[in-house]
Amino acid sequence: MRRADGGERRRPGKSEPPSGPLTRLYHAVPAVLMARRNLSRNRIRSALAALGIVIGVLAIASLGIFGTTLRAGTAAQLGDIGNEISVTPNQQAGVRNLTDRDVADIRRVAEGVVVPVESDTVTIERGRTRSIVAAYGIENPAALYEATDGRVPDRLRRGVLVGSAIGDRFDLVAGNTIAIDGRTYRVTAVLQEQSGITLLNPNNAVVVPPGAIPGDTYSQVVVRAATGAAANRSAESIRETLNRREDRVTVFELGTITQSINEVFGIINTFLIGVGSISLVVAGVSILNVMLMSTIERRQEIGVLRAVGVHRQQVMRMILAEAGLLGVIGGVIGSLLAIAVGMGLNQYVLQDPLATFSPTNLLYIVLAVGFALLTSLLSGLYPAWKAANEPPVEALRK
Amino acid sequence: MSIIELEDVWKVYDAGGERVEALRGIDFAVEPGEFVAVMGPSGSGKSTMLNVIGLLDSPTEGTVRIDGRDVTDLTDEEMTVERKRSIGFVFQSFYLIPSLSALENVELPTLFDHDHDSRGRAVDLLERVGLGDRLEHRPDQLSGGQKQRVAIARALVNGPRLLLADEPTGNLDRATGKEILEEFQLFKEEDDVAIVAVTHDPQVSRFVDRTVNLIDGRMESEGAWADA
Repeated sequence: MRRADGGERRRPGKSEPPSGPLTRLYHAVPAVLMARRNLSRNRIRSALAALGIVIGVLAIASLGIFGTTLRAGTAAQLGDIGNEISVTPNQQAGVRNLTDRDVADIRRVAEGVVVPVESDTVTIERGRTRSIVAAYGIENPAALYEATDGRVPDRLRRGVLVGSAIGDRFDLVAGNTIAIDGRTYRVTAVLQEQSGITLLNPNNAVVVPPGAIPGDTYSQVVVRAATGAAANRSAESIRETLNRREDRVTVFELGTITQSINEVFGIINTFLIGVGSISLVVAGVSILNVMLMSTIERRQEIGVLRAVGVHRQQVMRMILAEAGLLGVIGGVIGSLLAIAVGMGLNQYVLQDPLATFSPTNLLYIVLAVGFALLTSLLSGLYPAWKAANEPPVEALRK
Repeated sequence: MSIIELEDVWKVYDAGGERVEALRGIDFAVEPGEFVAVMGPSGSGKSTMLNVIGLLDSPTEGTVRIDGRDVTDLTDEEMTVERKRSIGFVFQSFYLIPSLSALENVELPTLFDHDHDSRGRAVDLLERVGLGDRLEHRPDQLSGGQKQRVAIARALVNGPRLLLADEPTGNLDRATGKEILEEFQLFKEEDDVAIVAVTHDPQVSRFVDRTVNLIDGRMESEGAWADA
């Protein structure tokens, strides 16, 4: 090890180096030391001023987190419908049905399983019960549905799948027979009840082999992609391919519904956060009040500071540090509380308390604390300016 | 050369449309190591004069010099710097900051500087005024005399050559007041600090080199002034 000779040497008799991070902070920013001491003089008053900030930050951050949770919860309810798109003939352009050629085009450009659907209305009959229901002719229903009883075959050649509501009404299990438009079919499976939004709700319908429905055109084609993005790309390609010359088909993406739901939640969230911000502004007013009172009480002290050679800006910095400290303390406590509230909420709604620490939520917390700090500093500005500009002679007058 | 010099200083206020002449042509000078008492009845302009000497207030007319430099028309910023460098203040009500320890109060004038020697100087000064064992005491744990000693140490921490005292014994009993005046004398002799004390206290005159009397904003002939 080599010591740089002739370099700066510490003068003897210097005070001992400051120890501890807090001492070092005070040493670097004496205004913070003064601010802390001044705030602890009237603890209750300072605590109440900080409480306003706590409430404001808690309001903003927890409402933000609430919105995120709500969105996540809804997305979970909606499930993977964002992966599905539906292609239907554009009736307005006079297109009644989709042809095999359309289906082939769709198969060529779509990423995912393509399910062409023929539709009809049929009469079903079992014993004395009869009913008119929708029938879907689907060759590969396993791509869309699951069964509660029996098995959904990859290729539906014979037999019929019945929706859950029909299964209940006709008291059907797999293996029963049922008459559809006078022809007898064996029930291959009873389908799971579909809740929420689906493109082709099977609850009140029967799924039959495509051959059972007259004609060889399709009323719609469902595409199920692996991801929402893939569904979106498929929708684009299908539009480009099939609608190149005329608007033959309408492509409906469930993803757009989720998107608009997200947008609605975004608006609700912004509104809630706006309401929360009002409480922070009120907190700012209370800080303004507290700081104004305490600077008036300390008028003479500030006069002394000015008399012994403390500059205006230094006085100002000191008082701004007080206001800022109130903001920081309130902000930290408020965000801790908001995290606690968020964890409780996420445990309840999503069964995942750690969802609170998503980037969006952290952004809300940072935003709330930042806003709190800004509000506090703005509120401290006038009292600080007033105190700093009071002539010391006036302040020290007996 | 005089530490401080007032030359034909006038201070005129406009108090509610009425012209108040607080100082009327004051000529005054203090030499290094001199202890001067300014006496006079209430409203005679003593405090105004102290404020002008202390660069807390500027005169309406006339010239103020510190060490021969004209400081009459300094900006607030420059006056603050000059106060810090050249002048110490001691007040009747001590004006210590209640949330700070004795030591921190003494360090107060240096608080916002990155002055690493100030701690040592502050400890020295407190030891010299006999409070070496009370460095960490808060003002409310100190007696009146002790508070005024802390205030004296605070006034001297930047090594000024002029100490201004506004009724320094005004809030103290006679015996304690005497101790404080002895403290002043000590610093005057050991550090060559010039002291100007505005006072009503007759016992001050026993400690000072000279007394000036102020009546209605004018300096009267030097000598003992007696309360009417």
